Amino acid sequence: MISDLENLLPILAEGFGTTLAIFGLTLLFSIPLGLLVAVLKMSRYRIIRYPVSFYISVMRGTPLLLQIVAIYFGSYYLSQSTGAGFSFDRFPAVIVAFSVNYAAYFAEIFRGGIESIPKGQYEAATMLGLTKSQTFFRIILPQVLKRVVPASANEVITLVKDTSLAQVIAVTELFALAKKQQAAYASIFPLFVAGIFYYVANLILSVFFSYLERKLNYYR
Amino acid sequence: MEDPILEVKHLKKSFFDSKKNREIQVLKDISFGMNQGDVLSIIGPSGSGKSTLLRCIAQLETLDAGEVRVCGKNLIVPGSNPIRYASKEDLTKIRLSTGLVFQNFNLFPHLTVLQNVTLAPIRVLKQDRYHARIRAMRLLKRMGLESKARAYPCELSGGQQQRVSIARALAMNPKVLFFDEPTSALDPELTGEILKVIKSLAEEEMTMVIVTHEMAFARDVANQVIFMDGGVIVEHGTPDYVFGKSNNDRLCSFLSRFAQSND
Repeated sequence: MISDLENLLPILAEGFGTTLAIFGLTLLFSIPLGLLVAVLKMSRYRIIRYPVSFYISVMRGTPLLLQIVAIYFGSYYLSQSTGAGFSFDRFPAVIVAFSVNYAAYFAEIFRGGIESIPKGQYEAATMLGLTKSQTFFRIILPQVLKRVVPASANEVITLVKDTSLAQVIAVTELFALAKKQQAAYASIFPLFVAGIFYYVANLILSVFFSYLERKLNYYR
Repeated sequence: MEDPILEVKHLKKSFFDSKKNREIQVLKDISFGMNQGDVLSIIGPSGSGKSTLLRCIAQLETLDAGEVRVCGKNLIVPGSNPIRYASKEDLTKIRLSTGLVFQNFNLFPHLTVLQNVTLAPIRVLKQDRYHARIRAMRLLKRMGLESKARAYPCELSGGQQQRVSIARALAMNPKVLFFDEPTSALDPELTGEILKVIKSLAEEEMTMVIVTHEMAFARDVANQVIFMDGGVIVEHGTPDYVFGKSNNDRLCSFLSRFAQSND
């Protein structure tokens, strides 16, 4: 068992590296994109609002698994049939799929946060002569941040586990490698170890988020 | 004859009432003027359009017709019909010469008291931090709040929060200061401290418009009083006239209702 672990750990650690890369890059792209989508969804103009609502409903209404496959193979078939060559490699396809999917969820969280800020905050800022962007970035956004931390924490923790979906297009992240080892060892032990990786990662994240919540609790 | 600081002529404003599916005119032909150092109290029953009038002049609501001049600048292009607002540049200038104190303070909860007061002077007036802070501390001292400079709004009483919001408005050096029911959200025992502050501003010849339900205060602090009802100015004159000599039925019944409720 111990020697199994010695062999397993480096392999799984390498997979975990890929998992972390998917996790980190997805957050890096989906949070700003989500903020943009949230702002667009609150646009005065229907021509902006409607397509954005449609995008969000498709992202939330179909499986992420399907979206990953669609983006990877879709771009492949498209480049094949048009003859002109652009298609995603496996890893970028995963990042794109995860980013646009999670952006939709984050957008709804952010929109809820932005809409919960009382109108009086905008009016006070206007009366003081702050510009629209000063109002948004200095008055509204900091307050939104505090309100969206609990809901975002949920999404982030779900994302850690969702990274395992990348194996569907043969990206060798933690779960894909663990499953391969399970077959090689004919034992469930590798999966168990992989589970510990996920669990510890999320444990660290939830400690971080409760710290962040406490840190932002300096005002009501 | 000096130029009036604030001039409102034939101001009209309607809202669309979606329940009744028709336009409701909340301000019907409002005109008045104020000179430097004037203090105007606006009284009247709820829904008479007092706050809306203030918000139209402060550019928080758009008006439908009429003229508004603040410090010699037109809010509306003169003679335009349908009305057109002045250039963005002029609107900003007008906005910076007016300040508004809200009924429910609207302090920025994530900023300290000091940051609330210095934010706009630093970001909008481009004052350097050091001087903005010194001036803010002077204003806070005047409000009796220098010890609270590092506190957050949620740690203050309602009266203290309202004093911070007055300091925040004063930090922008407005030419006219509007008060939209500044004591209505406060416990009765806290209204006194706000009224005292406003009174001290009046003594310094700050030009102010105060929408209020505090009749004794409206009479005491102002040199002119407007009584509004149903979107029109019913009476306009000195406090002595409005609170004593006027025989207007609507005003008398309004004031007697107040006298009863205060017994």
